[in-house]
Amino acid sequence: MNSLEVRNLTKRFDKIVAVDGASFEVPDGSIFGLIGRNGAGKTTTIRMMMGIYLPDEGEVILKGTKVGREFKSNVGYLPEERGLYKKMKVLETLLYFAELKGKTGKEVQKKAVEYLKKFELYDRRMSKIEDLSKGNQQKIQFITTILHDPEFIILDEPFSGLDPINTNILKEIILEMKRRGKVIILSTHLIDYAEKMCDHLAIIEKGKIVLKGSIDELKSKYANRNVSLAYKGDISFLKKHNEIVEKIEDFGNSTGIKVRKESQIQELLKLLIDNGVEIKKFDANDISLHEIFVETVGNEVDSESQFSLSDREGINV
Amino acid sequence: MFNYRVLAIIKRELRERLFSKAFITTTLLIPGLIIVIFGVQALLYSTESKNLNFELITENEELTSAFVYEFSNADFVKEKNYVFLYKTMTKEELKKHLEEIRNKITDESLTGVIFVPSSALKDKKIEYYSKSPQNIALSRELNGPINKVLVDAYFMNKTLNPEELEFARRGVDFAGFKVSEEEQIKEEGYGNIILAYAFTFLLYMSLLIIGQITLQSVIEEKSNKIVEIVLSSVEPKELMTGKILGASITGLVQMGIWLFTIMGVVSSSWITLPDNLVLEIDTKVVLYVLANFFIGLVLFIGLFATVGAIFDNPQDASSGTMPIMMLIIIPFFIAFSIMENPNKPYAEIASLFPFSSVIVMPARMTLIDVPTWQLIAAILINILTIIAIFPVAGKIYRVGILITGKKPKWSEVVRWLKQ
Repeated sequence: MNSLEVRNLTKRFDKIVAVDGASFEVPDGSIFGLIGRNGAGKTTTIRMMMGIYLPDEGEVILKGTKVGREFKSNVGYLPEERGLYKKMKVLETLLYFAELKGKTGKEVQKKAVEYLKKFELYDRRMSKIEDLSKGNQQKIQFITTILHDPEFIILDEPFSGLDPINTNILKEIILEMKRRGKVIILSTHLIDYAEKMCDHLAIIEKGKIVLKGSIDELKSKYANRNVSLAYKGDISFLKKHNEIVEKIEDFGNSTGIKVRKESQIQELLKLLIDNGVEIKKFDANDISLHEIFVETVGNEVDSESQFSLSDREGINV
Repeated sequence: MFNYRVLAIIKRELRERLFSKAFITTTLLIPGLIIVIFGVQALLYSTESKNLNFELITENEELTSAFVYEFSNADFVKEKNYVFLYKTMTKEELKKHLEEIRNKITDESLTGVIFVPSSALKDKKIEYYSKSPQNIALSRELNGPINKVLVDAYFMNKTLNPEELEFARRGVDFAGFKVSEEEQIKEEGYGNIILAYAFTFLLYMSLLIIGQITLQSVIEEKSNKIVEIVLSSVEPKELMTGKILGASITGLVQMGIWLFTIMGVVSSSWITLPDNLVLEIDTKVVLYVLANFFIGLVLFIGLFATVGAIFDNPQDASSGTMPIMMLIIIPFFIAFSIMENPNKPYAEIASLFPFSSVIVMPARMTLIDVPTWQLIAAILINILTIIAIFPVAGKIYRVGILITGKKPKWSEVVRWLKQ
């Protein structure tokens, strides 16, 4: 069952079409990834879903009916560009944002304290926001997103600027939310995170949805004749073997190799061993989301942004 | 329109403002500032003509001794330590004398020479020689005493009884009586003018201060990216409503504190005002001024918030606030000008006109009786103005609040309206 459906969303700013007829479905109880490069239209799409921007065309359907005002109270939204009232105190901030969602009273207060303890910020509850470190401000921001226990959680580039430890805490909470049946929409340009966390995804490029589906489906569709390789040594000799190798994509940590025929996979393995390459991982018929992304968006990716994509994925999830 | 979300925003705004240092200091400081301004004026006025040296020259001895007698007992001479040197000489001698003392006049060790020729007993024309002869305050001060001496001298040899002489000596006393719809016709002092000043100043300062604070806070939300999070919970319209009402209530509370304090002080027995400074201020007036102010504040704050949403830093915003500033400053000067004569033709228009009525009406109603329908009309006109322009302002706010980066052109702002 699709709980949330985006139909033909379009937004123009003057003559630029920021989002062009975007349609996708977010299934119940899943983590949905909206993936694209910087400036591809992710944030604009999400803003339209949140009713922050009015779409020029299209609509967002929630369980069969067009979303209205009450949807906002049911969503926790973490925007890419974050901000809090600097002069407000931590606990006061949390309670204020919950109040805007219609949640007041002891219950929320208790939960706010719980979350503060979880993020080790309980002793800072009476501090002003401006006195917190940037990382701690981000934690507070995240708590405001989930404190009112929303059904939907929309996270726009949630990991940007977080250190590995906080990234892990955040990841844990997202997965816990999923276990509790929440629908999570994750927009990111960090493809490795998306691959490891999402069940479904849509790739957006220049305002258009160029690919969508469940990760498993997509992988099995694209993984044919593909080998995911981790190695030590030099594989540049493969370029000479055009009769076997169709394409090589180097992503630094791993390399994707596409062979011409499925039967050639064994030949490739032999070739590598014969040439003294130390193989750490050889995964036949596997493809990373990264490769799918490059394959779909690839022709349009200039070298610079390709570099930034592989550059930024480096942190371990 | 008005729901728990708007209420939450208003509550936050009030918490943030009412207990802020800025609110407390301006609440205390502004009345203090006004007292200082009036005080400095009074001080300047009282020191400007102290310790002056004059030569008073007449053409005959008798007149000179009459001046000596009159001036040595005159109050203003004693109070202000004026020093008079009395001399008698003819017009020709005066010319020579002036040459001799030219240096003393130019270096101001001698303030001036007052020459009363014998002909003054016919035409009352006297001459004043000084480095700065156009001294209105001085001529007003000396007018009465000199006139008295001349009148005395003129009637000296004529048979008049003292009563007739007393009448002739008198200047005209111009007493103002306020005719209103109330039964009693009351003699009026300067009290109401002072009240009109106070209203004008307080309203003006408050509009500027609350307006600037709102502008800052909208820009802060925008540039700190808070607004996107807030908008994920509330509609732009709700946010704008909450902010405007929050700021307007803050202004209302502040103005209420000021006005009721003035009323309390004036009507209490702690201080007794001199008769000609008694001012009428009652609860009805205060309540009307507050109501009129609140509606006006909503209107102005709406504009400030809209301008704040267009720009993302205070420098750029200052160019956008210029037109709004004009809407505050021009009525401020109109209010001042009608204190001279509240019946000026534009006074009535300005006190009903949207925006300007906030400042002009309180000043005008303190000075003259304004018909009740006009008092109500002033508020209604502002309410209609709010109804007319807020949809447009809301649209600009809605689009602008999410746009950061380069300073938008006005043509772009117009295009936002079409989005």
